[in-house]
Amino acid sequence: MFILPTMIGLFVLNIIPIFQTIYQSFFKAGAFGKGNVFVGLDNYRRMFADASVWQALINTFKYAVVEVPFSIAIALVLAVLLNRHMRGRSLYRTIYFLPMVAAPAAVAMVWRWLYNSEFGLLNHLLNTLGFDSVNWISNPNTTFIWIAVVGIWSVIGYNMVLFLAGLQEIPQDYYEAAMIDGASAVKQFFHITIPLISPMMFFVSVTRIIAAMQVFDVIYMMMDRNNPAFFKTQSLVYLFYRYSFVESDRGYGSAIVMLLLLVIMVITVIQIRMQKKWVNYN
Amino acid sequence: MKLKKVMALMLTLVMVLSLAACSGGDNSNEGGTDSGASTDTTDTSSESTDSESSDTSGSSDVALTVAIWDTNQEPGLTQIINDFTEKTGIKAQIQVTPWEQYWTMLEAGATGGSLPDVFWMHSNEIARYSEYEMLLDLTERIKSSDVLDMSKFPQEIIEIYNWEGTTQYAVPKDIDTIGLWYNKTMFDEAGVAYPDDSWTWEDFRAAAEQLTKDDGSQYGLALRPSNNQAGWYNLVYGKNGYIISDDKKSSGFDLPETIEAIDFFASMSKDGLMPPYEVLAENEEHALFEAGKVAMIMQGSWMLAELCNNEYVIENADIAVLPKDAETGRRPSIYNGLGWAASGNTEYPEEAWALIEYMGSEEAQQKQSDLGIVISAYEGTMDNWTGAYPTFNLQAYLDMMDDLVIRPYSKTTVRWENMANDKMIMAWTGDKTAEEVCLEIATEMNALLAEE
Repeated sequence: MFILPTMIGLFVLNIIPIFQTIYQSFFKAGAFGKGNVFVGLDNYRRMFADASVWQALINTFKYAVVEVPFSIAIALVLAVLLNRHMRGRSLYRTIYFLPMVAAPAAVAMVWRWLYNSEFGLLNHLLNTLGFDSVNWISNPNTTFIWIAVVGIWSVIGYNMVLFLAGLQEIPQDYYEAAMIDGASAVKQFFHITIPLISPMMFFVSVTRIIAAMQVFDVIYMMMDRNNPAFFKTQSLVYLFYRYSFVESDRGYGSAIVMLLLLVIMVITVIQIRMQKKWVNYN
Repeated sequence: MKLKKVMALMLTLVMVLSLAACSGGDNSNEGGTDSGASTDTTDTSSESTDSESSDTSGSSDVALTVAIWDTNQEPGLTQIINDFTEKTGIKAQIQVTPWEQYWTMLEAGATGGSLPDVFWMHSNEIARYSEYEMLLDLTERIKSSDVLDMSKFPQEIIEIYNWEGTTQYAVPKDIDTIGLWYNKTMFDEAGVAYPDDSWTWEDFRAAAEQLTKDDGSQYGLALRPSNNQAGWYNLVYGKNGYIISDDKKSSGFDLPETIEAIDFFASMSKDGLMPPYEVLAENEEHALFEAGKVAMIMQGSWMLAELCNNEYVIENADIAVLPKDAETGRRPSIYNGLGWAASGNTEYPEEAWALIEYMGSEEAQQKQSDLGIVISAYEGTMDNWTGAYPTFNLQAYLDMMDDLVIRPYSKTTVRWENMANDKMIMAWTGDKTAEEVCLEIATEMNALLAEE
């Protein structure tokens, strides 16, 4: 009984749309949900021949490869530091968590201006220090990094809070015993903290990878279609948005998102298989 | 310890909630404005069902939602709508959604049956809305109206909103032309004469060369590849090329005239007369112009409110007509006009029509001109428009009306236009020649047109 509301929500908001999307991906969409024409596997055939889809998949991977490890590593270190007794602890925790509270669109807007090559604050600082300007968000080779930096920045607080919750679960006795044996702080971190927090790390990495694969808002807000780096940064979800909602090509958009679903599923299954190797359940 | 656990749990909860709120925020803001408003109207309708049946006299409870995309026009249009409310007692509320999201919002509204009552239409998108009969059929209403005289509007704009010669789905709102903005201070410094109607595109390029400084602090021109209507389309038609054939079945990108025109601007970008492409991509032309970074930009009359209220621009800039082509002698201006349309399933078709009718009347069109909102589409109401911003030579925009070419469109304009703009970047950066790019565009565009 208690799970009924959740079940209904899950079913109506998640499960049904999944099947609708699968169904939709076999059609050439008309407008406004009318006039769909069955085209079989045409959308998928078109997708396999479409270089921009594969480029978008690579872009999405590149983004995830930068965002996920850094956001986890930094958040873990911060969580350990902020788990000690220290002055202003809650203030620091709040500061790190704040970006999470801000609307992603607003965050991306502000960063877009920080990054602006002509009028941006970052380049202004570089120039006053005597360095040349950098094309943060219009260099096709490096832009994905700077976009991922925004992603890392905005998600650290979230990961940190999860890790803090995990850290609270570790009994102090282990550390006391280790101290008596003369283990350094670094040794304690690698031999006590990491193994004992690994279930939480597993949870965070699974959810972060899924979220990173679905990156959209940062790219949508920060990148302009005129941007020479656009092709090398647009993500699969952006491509889906563009076809489904801008060019009203719903069927093709659905096919793209099915590819994303498949990729995420494969990655998640691999992760779950791999967890035996490194996750430590008592 | 227990307290800490609870705290951590609470924090996580708050965070999850805020996460959900944030990620949902975008949608509810964009779609929400319109769905929220429509629940408003349904509320009032349930209260006022009897007054509604008693004709328009009792319609004071009705509040029409009016969707537009241009914040610059909002204050002026609000004034006109207030006049309308005073006259008829019908209230209307303007909602502005930025262009990038406007069509997504409208399409979601159309699919879900909650379109705004009255809204702007554009030549890029009208075809789908007509084909699936999403809009209120205005044909008979226009015929029997004694306020609205369609013959006073430019025929080509009426045609945009006319589905296959039978059904009229929108009433023309305005007309736009293109002008050349130049920075007088920079021209004076460089000792170049101001642009006038004797200028050819060669003079234009020569001036841009003189106005470009080697140290990168100032450039002659800013033109983004995506700026087609106010930008390179004009030269394409000036050279007697075209973007889409009259029967809308084939692309004109492979014509030598079209290629030549695009090469003209692409080479200005390659030769450094425009800011480096990265700067151009990250900043809109008018922002670069307002920052004193470039000496010339081409902009449509819809940008007036933005530019004419900018202090730097008021102090330093003025407007001229576009240059003409030396060979053909043509100085075309790609023009377009928005239309006022109403939702096909609005609960207040008569009130919505009353508003559209008023918007198309000479009185409202005259006021639109007087307030300097945009150039009105109604014959004979344009002259006052030049007085709206007396410090600028707005007459240039009216002078451009001698050779008007309607903005190229077909049923799936958005698809091929976006595709062309994406590819055009390569020509601007010099990664491909204008010819290569144009031929590629022509092939893809022909394929898209064949599917229509």
